[in-house]
Amino acid sequence: MRLGLFILGAIVALGQQRNFVSCPIVRDTKTVPCFLAEYEGETYFLGIQQDITSEFHPPQLKHEVLVEGRIVSGPRVCGGIPLQPVAVSVVKEVNLACNTLLPAEPGIEAPAAPRGPGPSSRRAEPSRPRETFAGAHEFVVLYSFNDDYLEFAANQVVTEAAAYAKRINASTVKISGYRATTLLSNGERLVEKPGLAEKRAQNIATLLRGLGVAGMTVEWKKDAEPADGQTDPSRRRVTILVNP
Amino acid sequence: MRRLSFVAIFIAPIALTLSAQYQDRSKSTWIEPNSGAVLPEFDAFDSNEGTLGVLNASGPVKTEGHAFFMTLGTNGRACVNCHQPTYGMSVSATALLERWKQTDGKDPVFAAFDGSNCPGLPQDKESSHSLLLKRGLFRIPLQWPPRNADGSPKPVEFTIDVVRDPAGCNTSPQYGLKSADPTISVYRRPRPAANLKYVVSGGRPIVLKTGLLADVDPETKSPVAMNLMSDAREATLQTQAMSAIMGHEQANVSPTRKQIEQIVEYESQVYAAQAAHIFGGPLAVPGGPSSLGPVALRDHKAGVLGDNDYDPVFGSFSSWKGTDYYRASVARGADLFMFRQFWLRDATHINSIGLGNPLKRTCATCHNAQMTGQDLSAGWVDVGTTNYPTWTEPATWADSSELPVFKITCSRDADPHPYLGRVIYTTDPGRALISGKCVDVGSIVMQQLRGLSARAPYFANGSAKTLREVVDFYDRRFDMKLTDGEKEDLINFLGVL
Repeated sequence: MRLGLFILGAIVALGQQRNFVSCPIVRDTKTVPCFLAEYEGETYFLGIQQDITSEFHPPQLKHEVLVEGRIVSGPRVCGGIPLQPVAVSVVKEVNLACNTLLPAEPGIEAPAAPRGPGPSSRRAEPSRPRETFAGAHEFVVLYSFNDDYLEFAANQVVTEAAAYAKRINASTVKISGYRATTLLSNGERLVEKPGLAEKRAQNIATLLRGLGVAGMTVEWKKDAEPADGQTDPSRRRVTILVNP
Repeated sequence: MRRLSFVAIFIAPIALTLSAQYQDRSKSTWIEPNSGAVLPEFDAFDSNEGTLGVLNASGPVKTEGHAFFMTLGTNGRACVNCHQPTYGMSVSATALLERWKQTDGKDPVFAAFDGSNCPGLPQDKESSHSLLLKRGLFRIPLQWPPRNADGSPKPVEFTIDVVRDPAGCNTSPQYGLKSADPTISVYRRPRPAANLKYVVSGGRPIVLKTGLLADVDPETKSPVAMNLMSDAREATLQTQAMSAIMGHEQANVSPTRKQIEQIVEYESQVYAAQAAHIFGGPLAVPGGPSSLGPVALRDHKAGVLGDNDYDPVFGSFSSWKGTDYYRASVARGADLFMFRQFWLRDATHINSIGLGNPLKRTCATCHNAQMTGQDLSAGWVDVGTTNYPTWTEPATWADSSELPVFKITCSRDADPHPYLGRVIYTTDPGRALISGKCVDVGSIVMQQLRGLSARAPYFANGSAKTLREVVDFYDRRFDMKLTDGEKEDLINFLGVL
C-alpha cells in the first residue's frame, strides 16, 4: 500500500515536471520583460529580467534553452504556466531561429520585480554576517547544463569555501567534479559532454588556489550521473569538502 | 531650422562672451620629448567644444629629466608623444595630421614600428601612416599565440586567418602571422593616461564575466581591475609603462624602477575633463553638476557603482533643467544616459553573463562606474564595433576601410562566440588575442568618457569621427530609435564630460 502510494506520488510529481528544450520567448511588458518557453503547445513562464545577483538567470534569444521546472498551481504569469523551481540552461550553439520578442500587451504584466528596467533604486544592503560553519562542511557549486561558467551565486560559494578553509586552517580540502544526465519529459536523455567533470573540478581548484587555499585534492567522476527527471540540475556540480 | 535660429540669435552671443573668459588661458600645445617645460597645476586647452581642463593634483610638474617626458628608447619617443595634456592625455587624429604637416612626418610619433601602418612600408609617404593620420590608430603588434607570464604559449580555442590586409602587415613575411615571430597587428587608439585612479580601482579575485581568476599585480599579488588597455593585457600601470617603453619607444635597455615609478606617479595624479563649453560656459560651478571638471575627478571616490537613480554615474544635472537652451539639453542628455530604456542585444559579456538576451536597460547598465562611465567590473564587452555584421567598417558609406579583416574559426570543443557562432569575421579580435578564447572575440575594454571633446576620433578603432557618429552607432546597433533631438541632447551631455 505504502509502495503504491509512493509510486502514485512519483507519477503525480513527474506529471508536474516539465523538462524540455525549445526556443525561449521574450514578452515585453510595461516594466521588465518576461521569459517564456513553449512545449507541446503550452506556454510556460520561466521568470523575469532581474539582476546579476538574482537566483534566476534568464535565457537568451539566438539560443535554445533547456528548461527543467515544476508546474506550480495558480494563475498564469505573463501568459504562461509558471514553473517553480526552474533551472534554465542556455544551449551554447547559436540558433538564429530563436528570435521571438513579443510586444507589451494590455493585461499582460510582469510580476513585481526587485529591480525595474532602469537604474537600480535599491540602496546597497549591509553585508550579511558571514555564515558560521563548524566542523567538516561541504560546499556545492552548481552549473548550467554542459557549462563550466561560474555564475554569480556559484562565485559566492567558492569565495565562501575559500574563506572558511583559510579561517579554520583546513587540514584537507577535497574537490569532486561531476557531470550529469537530464531526463526530458519526452523520455529522451541528455548527457553532459565528456571531460566536463574534470574541467569543472580543475577550474574550482585553480580558483581556490588563487584565493589562497592550499592542500587540496582534486578528483572527478568520469561517468555522467544518472537522471531522474526531477533533481537532475542538482547533480551538475562540484563539491568542496572542507575538513578541519 | 528653428533650433538653429534660436542658437544663432540667443545662445551664440552669450557663449562667445563666456568662452572669451577662457580664451587667454586656452592654447594648443604639443609637448615634445625632452622639452624641459614646466606644466602648471591647472592648465586649459582649446578643445573641439570649448576648453579642456587638466589638473596636476600634486602641483606643477617639471618635465626636465622626468621619465614620462624624456626619451627612454631608440626612436626618439617619450610617453608624452601619444599622451598629450592638450588632448586629454591621449592624442587626436587632427593633431597628428597637423603634426605630420609641421614636421614633414619626422616627428617620432610617426615611428615606423607602430606609427605607420607597417614598418616595411616607405616611411616618407603619408599613405604609409594613413591609419594614424586618419583615425589616430597606432599599430599594436601582438604575439600569436598569446603567452603566459612564464613565456609558455597559452592554449587557444580558435585558428586565425588573414582574409583582408590593406596595410600588408599581417601578411608580411617579416612582420605578419606567418613570419618567424608570428604576430598579429591590430590598430587601436591610445587611451587617456588621466583619471587613472578610476581605471585601476575595483580589482576582485574572480572576474564576474568569466568566472575565472583575475590577473594579479605581479608585485603585490593582489587582483587587479583588468580595465587597462583595449584588451586588459596589462595588469598594472607599472607593467603598462614597462611594455610601452620596450615596445612603443623601442628601448634596448629596461627603464629603471625609479623611472617607472615616476611615470606611474605622474599618471596617477593627472586629471583631465572638459572645463568650459562654448555654449555651456564654465562647467564646474557652485550649484551645478558635481561631476564636471578635473577637480571633481580628483576629489571623488573611485570604484563607486553609479547604475542607480539616487547617486547616478555622473551625478545629478537637475539644476540645469529649465535653464538656458544648452544646459537644459545637457541635463536631458544626462537623463537619457541614465534612464532611456532600450533593448541591449547580442552583446557578449553583458547579455551572456546571466542578465538575459535581450536585456531592457539603459546606457548606465554597462557604463556604470561613477565619474568615468567605464564598467566597474572587468570591462571587456563585444558591443559590435569590430565583428561582422555590426562592425563599424567602413565608417561611412564613402569610406573604404583600411583595417585588416581576420577570420576566426573556433574549435568544436570550445564554447562558441555567444552570438556569432564558430566562424567570425573581425577587424580586431580584442580580448581574444590575449585570452585565446572564442567567446572573447571582438570584446574590447570599455573606455572612460571624460575629456571626449579633446580627443576624437572615438571607439578603440577610431571609426567615429564625432560624438554624433558614436551616438549613431549605438542607435543603429541597439535600434534605440533616438530622435534627432535626443541625439543632440546625448551629444551635448557627452561633450561636457
